[in-house]
Amino acid sequence: MATEFTFDKEDEKFFGSVGSFGVPKFDNEMNGGVPRGFTMVAFTDTGSGSELFAKQFVSPAEEAENTLYISTNEGQAEIVRIFQKYDWPLDINVRTIGEEYNSNVLEKELLASRYRLEGFRLEDIQRLAQTRFVDDSTQDYLTEVTNEIMALGPYFRAVIDSLDFFLQRDDPSRVVAMVRMLQAHAQMYRGLLLISVSNDGLSPSIKQELSSISDMVLTFGVRTIGSDFETSMIVSKFRNAPENLKMLVFRVTPEEGITPETVERIA
Amino acid sequence: MNLSELAYMFPMQPAGQYSRDRCITGVHGLDEILRGGIPYGSTVLAAGTCGSGKTTLGMEFLVRGADAGEACAHFTATEPSVKLLENIRQFQFFDVKMVDSGLINVFDMDVLYSWLGLEKSSFDLDDVHSLIKAIVDIVNTIGVTRLVIDSVTTLCYKIKSEQLIRDFLFTLGKKLATLGCTTILIAEITSATENAHWSSFGVEEAICDGIIVLGDVERMGHLLRFLQVVKMRGTPHSRAKHAIELTPIGVMLTPMLKWGAVSDSNSRWGA
Repeated sequence: MATEFTFDKEDEKFFGSVGSFGVPKFDNEMNGGVPRGFTMVAFTDTGSGSELFAKQFVSPAEEAENTLYISTNEGQAEIVRIFQKYDWPLDINVRTIGEEYNSNVLEKELLASRYRLEGFRLEDIQRLAQTRFVDDSTQDYLTEVTNEIMALGPYFRAVIDSLDFFLQRDDPSRVVAMVRMLQAHAQMYRGLLLISVSNDGLSPSIKQELSSISDMVLTFGVRTIGSDFETSMIVSKFRNAPENLKMLVFRVTPEEGITPETVERIA
Repeated sequence: MNLSELAYMFPMQPAGQYSRDRCITGVHGLDEILRGGIPYGSTVLAAGTCGSGKTTLGMEFLVRGADAGEACAHFTATEPSVKLLENIRQFQFFDVKMVDSGLINVFDMDVLYSWLGLEKSSFDLDDVHSLIKAIVDIVNTIGVTRLVIDSVTTLCYKIKSEQLIRDFLFTLGKKLATLGCTTILIAEITSATENAHWSSFGVEEAICDGIIVLGDVERMGHLLRFLQVVKMRGTPHSRAKHAIELTPIGVMLTPMLKWGAVSDSNSRWGA
């Protein structure tokens, strides 16, 4: 049986039973927001606005030190630029796995290719002769990310954008196991967790597993209408509240970011 | 022009008088066994059982070269270089300044693998060529004339095909010879008995120019270390077994008397 956690009464009052999505109109459509303890999985198409939604999701940042944004594709500078553009809080925790991977793994691979193709220079040889230990920079990013989120306290808010990085480099069953652990952690600590994953190349079985683990499933899509693009978000699962299943067409405004327009009920 | 006229124009040295330049090992007794040293540019397999003194022999070979101002390199695959240097410090012949000054360059194979992106369980043809290129680069760039790889057995474990091992050793030996580098490849063997191979993969002994076997022999209840030069291209040499003693001042070789061996069903080499 899971360990029970006692929440502070004042915290319960402050945080309430639901948290904001960071998109006021979307909160209204979902009857107030997202229930505390929910894990959301967003299946995304390229160009559908999911990255912006992920950033917007952490923007309420009730407790900045308990808010974590993990990006696997963007660099710190780009994330800061977007947060500044929309005037979202900059004091949250941000981890850019993609950047870390580039500097730790890809740069090392590039250097290895240079050594293999061009050979060693004298200074390389001198450095090699003085290097006594292997620089073990191979990192298990999946475990690190899991531990980092598991270390967040009650009422945390976290985003992983996106799971593709891990699915491409790790055993998918290990990735699913990680999501399962994080879901349990979010539930126990009344946290809010959003995980995005690209629709492209995702195996049906993994998609099915992720959908069943999560409390809420969102699908971000983009289609062309005439010469315009239409971005939409479908809520196809909302645990214990099927009335919230909806399809929302949204646009991106400079003031509010993701802004739902019309609403179609799908259940 | 007849043959006698040609012979007058191009006088040949009488057989037995020509001798190749030697790399004087400096190891007490070994140069006498080799009638002056290892022919320059040779690749010599020093095959021995555990604890038979292979690493010490290899290191003394480098130290004596460094004493003479030669640039030397040691590639260690069996133990970390930190440990190797700590262990070798007990010998008076070794001075850590030789490492600090760059006369003896000690390379960790693990570090080299990491730099070359070869942190994998097995090597393919490209990987083998990268490794050869790296070693040859190092030898060429710093002008290494004495090289020890300790051990070639550990290194070859990563090369899965016998053909690739053969290519690796042959190409490496050929390139190092071209650069005038005398190389000792240390090989680990489980037994130095008469019928044993002198290498783990069976190909090293055929490709190398020389084979020095190190092992143990039981005499009067004592286990003695011995060294025997089995093969050395380009020089006459003694094939007798020599007792090897690892003393603080270095390796000492003395001829081993033929009598007094204890012979049994597990008789060791030369017993």
